[in-house]
Amino acid sequence: MKVVVCVKQIPDPALPGELNPTTNLLKRDGKLILDESDSYGVEMALQLVEAAGGGEVSLVSMAPNNEMSGLRTALAMGADDAILVSDENLAGTDALGTAKVLAAAIRRLSPDLILAGVESSDGYTGTVPEMVAGVLDLPSVTFAKQISIDGDTVKVQRQTEAGYDDVECKLPVLLSVTAGVVEPRYPSFKGIMAAKKKPVEALDLQGLGIDLNTVGLVGARQETIRVTEAEERESGEIIVDDGDAHQRIAEFLGELKVI
Amino acid sequence: MNFDLTDEQQMIVDTTRKFVESEIVPAEEHLDPDAGSLEPHDFERLVTKTKEMGFYGLDIPAEYGGPGLDTTTRALMAIEMSQHRAGLYNPCYGVFGGAGLAQLYEATDAQKERWLYPTLRGEKKGCFALTEPSGGSDPARAIQTKGYKDGTEWVLNGSKLYISGADKADYALLFARTSDDPGRNGVTAFIVDTDSPGFFVRRVVHTLRATHYATELQFEDLRIPEDQILGEVNGGFAIANDRLSRQRIPYAAGCIGPAIKAQAMSIEWAKSRETFGSLLAEKQAIQWMLVDNEIDIRHARYCVLEAAQKADKGLRFRTEAAMAKLVATEAAGRVVDRCMQIHGGIGVTKDLPLERWYRELRIRRVGEGPSEVQKLIMARDIIGGSFK
Ligand SMILES: Cc1cc2nc3c(=O)[nH]c(=O)nc-3n(C[C@@H](O)[C@H](O)[C@H](O)COP(=O)(O)OP(=O)(O)OC[C@H]3O[C@@H](n4cnc5c(N)ncnc54)[C@H](O)[C@@H]3O)c2cc1C
Ligand SMILES: Cc1cc2nc3c(=O)[nH]c(=O)nc-3n(C[C@H](O)[C@H](O)[C@H](O)COP(=O)(O)OP(=O)(O)OC[C@H]3O[C@@H](n4cnc5c(N)ncnc54)[C@H](O)[C@@H]3O)c2cc1C
Repeated sequence: MKVVVCVKQIPDPALPGELNPTTNLLKRDGKLILDESDSYGVEMALQLVEAAGGGEVSLVSMAPNNEMSGLRTALAMGADDAILVSDENLAGTDALGTAKVLAAAIRRLSPDLILAGVESSDGYTGTVPEMVAGVLDLPSVTFAKQISIDGDTVKVQRQTEAGYDDVECKLPVLLSVTAGVVEPRYPSFKGIMAAKKKPVEALDLQGLGIDLNTVGLVGARQETIRVTEAEERESGEIIVDDGDAHQRIAEFLGELKVI
Repeated sequence: MNFDLTDEQQMIVDTTRKFVESEIVPAEEHLDPDAGSLEPHDFERLVTKTKEMGFYGLDIPAEYGGPGLDTTTRALMAIEMSQHRAGLYNPCYGVFGGAGLAQLYEATDAQKERWLYPTLRGEKKGCFALTEPSGGSDPARAIQTKGYKDGTEWVLNGSKLYISGADKADYALLFARTSDDPGRNGVTAFIVDTDSPGFFVRRVVHTLRATHYATELQFEDLRIPEDQILGEVNGGFAIANDRLSRQRIPYAAGCIGPAIKAQAMSIEWAKSRETFGSLLAEKQAIQWMLVDNEIDIRHARYCVLEAAQKADKGLRFRTEAAMAKLVATEAAGRVVDRCMQIHGGIGVTKDLPLERWYRELRIRRVGEGPSEVQKLIMARDIIGGSFK
């Protein structure tokens, strides 16, 4: 079985992020790391291939400056190979442009199954996976919390507010994996030592056969018009117990409709 | 010197850091502030993980089935593994496994079978019994525990002081005087099980350290078969000198972790704590403390990495290892002291890890050779042998 995982490499969320003041876009010129949202997809793919008794896990990522630190982490976890798309003309690419690029890369691999995160940790539009499926003309199932393969059918527990739906679908298909549903393994010592030797195919737009005018800032139909600072969190109310604290806490929770 | 990490080293550092932050710190949170071990179920769970990761038994050479880390990578990991409350003397609470005493790699095959391999498998614990009440800085001259030969056995009488973990150890690596030579050529190393008749742990010696007690040992006609001698008779001091110098490097690196963590905590604190109408971070006195911390931390890190890189390249590194030990232990002590000051009252409480680091770091300037002895080692190297 061949599984492709879309992995986004993002600036380390632990470091203070910076926006470009003219374009309002996140600066991505430093080291990028594997988005934690995508570590679940990688883990899921590795488990599915193990359960199938063999197969291949390939990664697909679009990132600036040929940055591959995040890809290496996923390779060290056990993925077999990767395609990295990097091109100066991709600067300013919006979600649809990203989907076109990822779809073109995925097409080269003809996978049985494509996994992506439900939403990334930095952009979190939560739209790329379904657009990729759209471009590839494949069915997609969102919010997968459990996945099993049975012949040419995938069975998915699709998380809902009330519980989950059981969904079945013929392969090939694209699934977006809910964060937290599996425990991503740590890269192993052997995996780390092997990661650099695993094949990473670096492609630019020309290599992918993508028209420059459909992606990048020129092709983007989304624009970030304005950025405002998040409101400061208001300090909480301190209730001093004069014998009625329990009532006041209950009232407060009642107002929030928590109880 | 090139202090850039290789991609592999960077990934090992990142993985270790994540492991400490996501596994060790949460498991430690609900423990007693002086705890020296994890809850057994947490310990088991995390050892399973480190084994799956192939990181169990960090110090085990590749030929014995360990990861075979070079000294630089091992030092980088030590800096990460000590970034939690118990991190100085119980880095990651031992879930990365123990290595066994470095000297045992020089043992005979039968000795390795009996003590080294079970230690590597986590089944046995050893202790290192060198220091005596007569002094630890110059053990070659100070050792008074006497051994004489009786048939095929050696008989030992004497005592040892400040021996870490002898109360919990299965065996001891024990040094005794076995000839009339008053110096290094009269000392033999023995491996002896701690339940041997005549081997007594007299008392636990309480120190600044919360766990991993130092002990006082006594030997009364302790009989040891001659096949339990490690190395040659009267050659006990020649054993594994290289490995001992090498061990100083992760020892020094382990001091840098708490300093880094304390500094990060202090920066956070200074940016949120107000006095006299402004933040601590806006006061030059505090800024300079934070800057001095940064200088100390970087200086220590550079010294450790220089020693480690020389060791990895097969160059002489005795001076560098001694310098790293001295600089890192002293710098980390100063950093944590300043961080405590910046935190004020809460800094000295057991609500924060600072007070444990502060106490335990003080031991590091004495253990494994006091600062003055490290200077003596460096003086010999830079002035020349005739000035011993
Ligand atoms: C106007 C605009 C300009 C932008 N300019 C730039 C730019 O100059 N440089 C730049 O690098 N990015 C840029 N981006 C970010 C853009 O490329 C995002 O990757 C894209 O919009 C995806 O959006 P998201 O993060 O919300 O993905 P979501 O839809 O939230 O992501 C869901 C999942 O899709 C997959 N996925 C998403 N993005 C990628 C990716 N890049 N590679 C692999 N898998 C992925 C992952 O599996 C992820 O978990 C820009 C975005 C916008 C809206
Ligand atoms: C908590 C703890 C755990 C320990 N664990 C072990 C263990 O497991 N195994 C073991 O064998 N030992 C252990 N030790 C012993 C430790 O190695 C010794 O304490 C150390 O070597 C110093 O020896 P000493 O205490 O006898 O001091 P001394 O040798 O009496 O020295 C006292 C002081 O004199 C100064 N000094 C010494 N030489 C010189 C010099 N040449 N020039 C100038 N000043 C000098 C130093 O400041 C030194 O601190 C432990 C000690 C402690 C505190």
